[in-house]
Amino acid sequence: MSAAPAVARAAGPARQAFSLRPSRTPPKIRKPLKRDDQGLPIPRCKIFVRDTHPSRMMDHYFSTLQDDLMYMTYVHESGPRKPPREIRLKFDPEDPYSKNRVNTPVGGSQLGRKPAPVTSWDNVVQLERVQIHTMIKEATSNRVNLLGPIMMMRALSGETEGGGGRHTSEGVQVVRSIKTVGGWLRPRMPIGAKVDLKGPKMYDFISTLTEFVLPRLREYTGFVMPASTQQNFTPSSVSGVVSIGLPPEAMGLFPQIEVNLDAYPGSYGMHIHFITNAEGQGAQNKARALLSGLQVPFVRR
Amino acid sequence: MSALARCSSCLPRSASTTRHGSILSRSLATEASAGPSTTQLAPAPGKIKSHETIGISIVVNRSPFLTRIPSRFERAFHAYQQRIERALHNPFPYEFYFKQGSLLETKFRAEERKRERMTLGAPFGTIEPQTSAESKAQSARESAVEALDREEEEIIPRRGKADEINDVRSLDRKGERNLYLLLLKKSNSEQVWRFPEGSLQKGELLHESAERNLLKECGVVMDTWVVSRNPIGLYKSSSAGGTSLSRLFFYKAHIMAGQVRPDGSNVLDYAWLTKQEMEERLDKEYWHGVQDMLSDF
Repeated sequence: MSAAPAVARAAGPARQAFSLRPSRTPPKIRKPLKRDDQGLPIPRCKIFVRDTHPSRMMDHYFSTLQDDLMYMTYVHESGPRKPPREIRLKFDPEDPYSKNRVNTPVGGSQLGRKPAPVTSWDNVVQLERVQIHTMIKEATSNRVNLLGPIMMMRALSGETEGGGGRHTSEGVQVVRSIKTVGGWLRPRMPIGAKVDLKGPKMYDFISTLTEFVLPRLREYTGFVMPASTQQNFTPSSVSGVVSIGLPPEAMGLFPQIEVNLDAYPGSYGMHIHFITNAEGQGAQNKARALLSGLQVPFVRR
Repeated sequence: MSALARCSSCLPRSASTTRHGSILSRSLATEASAGPSTTQLAPAPGKIKSHETIGISIVVNRSPFLTRIPSRFERAFHAYQQRIERALHNPFPYEFYFKQGSLLETKFRAEERKRERMTLGAPFGTIEPQTSAESKAQSARESAVEALDREEEEIIPRRGKADEINDVRSLDRKGERNLYLLLLKKSNSEQVWRFPEGSLQKGELLHESAERNLLKECGVVMDTWVVSRNPIGLYKSSSAGGTSLSRLFFYKAHIMAGQVRPDGSNVLDYAWLTKQEMEERLDKEYWHGVQDMLSDF
């Protein structure tokens, strides 16, 4: 019954404007909410923040780039692939001679020889996340030197720990050293900061990068690709990750930081890793093609 | 060259488009000059026998240049998520971004109050009670900010002149949709709408033929980029009606600048159309062969 008036209203003369704001007061909470240790109310369901606005770059990817990338990276294969060759076992695990010896694969490491998956509509190269990372040498002497880069990354990404109600959102993380480097580092010393971006925020970051930062860099023509003669069987070329580096001068070109550049104690360079779903041989080239479509320029010397 | 006709070798190509000065976007309205590449692509004189049965057709796409208008549901969803985000977000560090009591801070605070009230409702975003001296200074600052605000930017409308008169030849029409090029051609004393097409010459690769035929049909005052070296589709006509070509390989291309120049003898007219507008102009069999290569939106 309650649905009937709504239908009648919708069928009436078309209303030109409608408000997205609630026009009435929210209903009263009859049963009091539980409170946590700090006395704050706990909502009855988990609250997440999802997309708050349409993303221009993401639309561009799905409306134009994805089709083009599929056509560009398509490899025609007639029939199913042959199963991998059975290589005779060199070591018999039951043999007491070879039992606990190192069992290296026949033909050396196969890490860089991983074949690309069969091309299909659902494995077109796509960005999974973008990681911004910086190492601060001065942080080894005084860890307060990390505060500037952490603030920079907060301003760049807008990410906070558990932000938007997501426990997977880790915000800006401090990178700690792993092992001892003679006279300089000890394990667990804070030496840098990193932040992961996903979804619309990731695409917004890329559009800021390509529209405000890269065009204003001095004496810059594009990111240099390795020579075409370089063999592409390295682990990095099959991983589908493209990494670029920005000099400290680039930090002041981000509009989020430009407004109050004086508030930062210094300027810091950064590495940006674009992590895609591409894998197997030629994955890095696919990732570069994707970034090229997102207006990140590459050059070959 | 034929050994290179694999897709992995196409990849540096998109990067090489950025090597020239025009890294960033270029308006569609700019005039494309006939560069040296056009002279290279002209068919070489001599004894080239055209292949009768295999043809190349090019789907020239004008990709969207405006963002899509979100549906009513999407707008309501985004508004709801914005409310949640505003309710959950960390407090804004005013002292980090603004000098205390500066004009910009006042402006930002006023805007922030307005947004707060807009999203969360009346008790939020209202001004807290102040002492009389403070409120006087506050109102003085706000009036100064209002003076700043009067210089407002003019927003270019989404619908242009081409939309108003429905000019199908214009590239500025329907900015949020994918448009495709159709040519009006003479064939057996009747006029048919087709994608640009041509025949394959002996010893010519398919993607080379695509570039050559595109220039031949559409003129040289158009800056285009053929996306891949692989065809995106194949159309086999059952009858010889309309064309002598029985197998058509389709290639996708993008228009970057310029416009079509029909030669008037073979190509009479052209139109940039959405997929839905195309259906009524194409004959039924051809439409069923090509419709899946086109984007619905």
